Amino acid sequence: MEYGFDFAYVFKYVPKLLSTLDLTLLIVAGAIATGLIIGLLVALPRLYHVPVLKQLSMVYVSFFRGTPVLIQLFLFYYGLPEILKLVYIDVTRVPVLYFVIFTLGLNAGAFISETIRAAVTAVNRGQVEAAYAVGMTGYQAFTRIILPQALAIAVPVFSNLVIAMLKETSLAFTLGVMEMTGKAQSLGALSQHFLETYISLAIIYLIISLLLERVLLLAERRLQRHMRREQEKRSWFGLRRVPPLNRLTRELNLEKKEVPSYEA
Amino acid sequence: MIKLRGIRKSFGRQEVLQGIDLTVEKGEVVAILGPSGSGKTTLLRCINYLEKPSDGTIHISDFTLDCKHAGKKEVHALRQRSAMVFQQYNLFNHKTALENVIEGLIVVKKVSKDEARKRGIQLLEKVGLGAKLDAYPSQLSGGQQQRVGIARALALEPEVILFDEPTSALDPELVGEVLAVIRRIAKEGITMIIVTHEMAFAQDVANHVVFMDGGVIVEEGPPAELFSNPKEERTKQFLKRYTPEFSYSI
Ligand SMILES: Nc1ncnc2c1ncn2[C@@H]1O[C@H](COP(=O)(O)OP(=O)(O)OP(=O)(O)O)[C@@H](O)[C@H]1O
Ligand SMILES: [Mg+2]
Repeated sequence: MEYGFDFAYVFKYVPKLLSTLDLTLLIVAGAIATGLIIGLLVALPRLYHVPVLKQLSMVYVSFFRGTPVLIQLFLFYYGLPEILKLVYIDVTRVPVLYFVIFTLGLNAGAFISETIRAAVTAVNRGQVEAAYAVGMTGYQAFTRIILPQALAIAVPVFSNLVIAMLKETSLAFTLGVMEMTGKAQSLGALSQHFLETYISLAIIYLIISLLLERVLLLAERRLQRHMRREQEKRSWFGLRRVPPLNRLTRELNLEKKEVPSYEA
Repeated sequence: MIKLRGIRKSFGRQEVLQGIDLTVEKGEVVAILGPSGSGKTTLLRCINYLEKPSDGTIHISDFTLDCKHAGKKEVHALRQRSAMVFQQYNLFNHKTALENVIEGLIVVKKVSKDEARKRGIQLLEKVGLGAKLDAYPSQLSGGQQQRVGIARALALEPEVILFDEPTSALDPELVGEVLAVIRRIAKEGITMIIVTHEMAFAQDVANHVVFMDGGVIVEEGPPAELFSNPKEERTKQFLKRYTPEFSYSI
């Protein structure tokens, strides 16, 4: 069979690939949810200087930030069952999908914990003292005063993470998960129209990324409404945003200036 | 009534408070003066345990806390009896003026939302911010923020309000509005301890003035006496430095 580029395939494959979109989104949602919980748990010992746990969380973060996601997937998929076998837990029947979500979740958790840590440090110490002075407990001060502001500071970075995660789900095909990239692989193999398949695939990822970005931007707007000095003018398409890094460093500097040597 | 006895605090090897005894009667306004680094802020922060004293007892109305054996519970109980107005305002930046004022009422005092709102609005009107209920701190001037800070302190109906240089972060033209508010609530008989460098204000509003230096109370007394007839050499020097015109006029 002779290969000739046929644009019709691009359109033909879009709906076929979309039929596996739910799986891709499930992996994103599962991994991010896992990552949020783990990220918060891992950030806490470092924020509150809990001895041993603090070191453990640093090792965890270094590992997941310092190794490729693909290798992490392989290590967990092939390695974890072996380790668990030693303690007589059999996970060989657990579907691959769970391994993928779990590993990507751990990966996201490492980045999320760093983001939370930076954001929490950026909320100035004075507000925590004010919360204590008002009579709040440490827990109330954290959940009512620090966390909401930290989240607002962290959303732009968090948005980037979600979009990066969307793209990382494509690695799941290497373990045989039939998400969008896996599906594209098999469609291409069947028809030999690989290029067309990948074009449709790229188009879909791009559109989903743009949509996600839009939704996350709305969330960002809402969480950060207190940071604006006045009502912002709407730019067309509504995509104007302050560079997140700028904001983070600005907040960090502010904090250094305002509370030089005190702590409670 | 507030009674501090033998309050000591060290940072590392430096003893910043060297045994402070202070009694404040109910309804009294006490001004604390003293050179920079004399321990005024530290003393104020010890009273609500933002700083843990190394020794001493703190007594506020019906509650006594021994700093040597104070657990979380006692500290929490102590903090419920005071409120603080900070030099840098320290408003909750993600909350509106009204939410700042009622946060403590709802979370700590467990007052219902409606009731809290009603009281919050009254208090903000009282400090002249009835039109700024829904503004975020970033949308308020320094003077306005500090007035929200005062309303937040008032909302808790504490036994005592602690002010740490409430106007020293403000532009000069905004100092007046904040001092006016403090003066007004002083007249209502709320017990206050104010650390300030505004000599004229201290003289005018306080019933009792305390002069601190080097971690001890050097001299205290009614303002008329302390300002016009200081007994200690250190007090005289300090007053001369801060109010030159004043010392010439004696
Ligand atoms: N957290 C801290 N760690 C170490 N030293 C501190 C700390 N806080 C205060 N000090 C020191 O304690 C001393 C008293 O400080 P404090 O802030 O109470 O002075 P102050 O009278 O309020 O001065 P100012 O008028 O400048 O506000 C100073 O020498 C200061 O350097
Ligand atoms: Mg001070």
